[in-house]
Amino acid sequence: MTPATFRWMSQDVPFRPGETIAAALSAAGVVSYGRDQAGAPSRYFCGVGACQCCLVNVDGRPIEACLTLARPGLSVTPLELDHA
Amino acid sequence: MPDITPDTLNLTPDVLIIGGGPAGMSVAIECARAGLVVTLVEQRPRLGGAIFRQPVNGVAPLALAAGPERLKARLFKDFAAQVARIHCVYGALFAGLDADGLAIVEDRQTSRVLPFRPRALVLATGAVEAVLPRPGWTLPGVTTAGGLQVLMKETGRAPQGRVVLAGSGPLLLALAAQLIRLGRPPLAVLEAGDPIRRPGASLALLAHPSLVSEAASYLATIALARVPWHRGAQFERIDPCDQALIVTWRDHKGHLASLAADHVSLHDGLAPNNFGLPAEARGGVKSSAGNPLVIRVGDCREALGAAAAVAGGEATGRNLAAHLLTGGEVIAAEATLARHRSAQHHIARAFAPRRGQELATQLPDDTVICRCEGRTLADLKKLVAESPGLSARELKLNGRFAMGACQGRFCASNAARLLGELSHSADQVPVSALTGQRWPLRPVSIAALAAAVADAPQPGSSTKDDKDIR
Repeated sequence: MTPATFRWMSQDVPFRPGETIAAALSAAGVVSYGRDQAGAPSRYFCGVGACQCCLVNVDGRPIEACLTLARPGLSVTPLELDHA
Repeated sequence: MPDITPDTLNLTPDVLIIGGGPAGMSVAIECARAGLVVTLVEQRPRLGGAIFRQPVNGVAPLALAAGPERLKARLFKDFAAQVARIHCVYGALFAGLDADGLAIVEDRQTSRVLPFRPRALVLATGAVEAVLPRPGWTLPGVTTAGGLQVLMKETGRAPQGRVVLAGSGPLLLALAAQLIRLGRPPLAVLEAGDPIRRPGASLALLAHPSLVSEAASYLATIALARVPWHRGAQFERIDPCDQALIVTWRDHKGHLASLAADHVSLHDGLAPNNFGLPAEARGGVKSSAGNPLVIRVGDCREALGAAAAVAGGEATGRNLAAHLLTGGEVIAAEATLARHRSAQHHIARAFAPRRGQELATQLPDDTVICRCEGRTLADLKKLVAESPGLSARELKLNGRFAMGACQGRFCASNAARLLGELSHSADQVPVSALTGQRWPLRPVSIAALAAAVADAPQPGSSTKDDKDIR
């Protein structure tokens, strides 16, 4: 059975049920999440929803990749598409 | 752990607990045992907190040391025995306590805001890691050590590529041992302190045999795998270079050394995750009309680790239940914590950095201090030079330090320390002056908030006149 995937930029990222977006991106070797509105590089950092460094847009809403469960077909993008 | 998805939700529980780690779970167990109506709100899909982060289905949990493993087994067994009496709301975040006494929770599963009016609000939000600023700490590929550790606990996988661990403290050793067991030993552990050269503090730890055996098991694993543990290392910077991160430090003799890595994990200690939380009730506690009694437990009260979180959570849970049932006074569980406090004190002494810790003179001016707002050491120096006697509050409001999305969780203590150093103040600048209390704690949609408050239970509603929302 092919694993479920979500969309990150031009990539289909596979994930296991119960995995967060951050865990799936890490397994896919994605380390940089682009840039945030202030221009700082976004990435996984604290893993406990505190630092706000891993914010990504999920269905148009900024949300922590480390807290948010991956779901099939989700569209996940950097906060600032221009800087991706 | 079975997911509890009640089709109706009681908005007026006796006890609302924020955080499903060891402290929050322990309070829930004791209050449920006493027969109270308990709701527990957890931001992730599962219980356990950071220390007992559970793996996704089908993945074997990462082995813990014997002591923590026993603690975890007992905690989950006790919770399972009470699970039918505890409402767990997963994927939900605490947004704050509003002026009207409503505890606002954002349920991300349903995109709704839940306005709770509990009799007691128990905050068990755990710890955040302290990370000292260094050039390059904001780069992709750089995480906190705890951040890497929880990711490994969740996925059962180590990151791809070369890993360097740097900073200070026993967590670096625990993480190194876990990486080794997953088949990816770190290139090196850079430790600012030198516990071996502080025999006094290390010997004092012998009074805590479970900690000693835990540390010994990590050190044995690290020695067997021949991972270098560079003690007395002054970590200087991280530079990006051809997809890699170049880590540079000064060894204990002052010589520069460097390594190329793909991942760098930093850790300089733990601090309570109490940023912006409502104040705890003090003294002979009584909740004022309509407002819940506010209590903090576990690491968000004092960062003493999981065993202390369970002991404190259990004692506080029993006291709280007695108070709500019979009107007794709520006494903080101080006595149970003294031993844990002493252990943490000795650990901190053993791992105290060997070199002078004046940050302001160590760091280049372009070092980012506050990531969210992109504020550098140069910005801070300029503010202090322009307005001698600058207060922490001015540093925040005029300088935008600790003003951004993380609410100062990762920069406030560093900014406060630098302000103290630069203004040559003998007194420590209190971190709370930079953080303070905020409402809401997190961005919440105005529309969802307005809808929720319109539905909210009125003061005086009790669990008997259940106000259910579907």
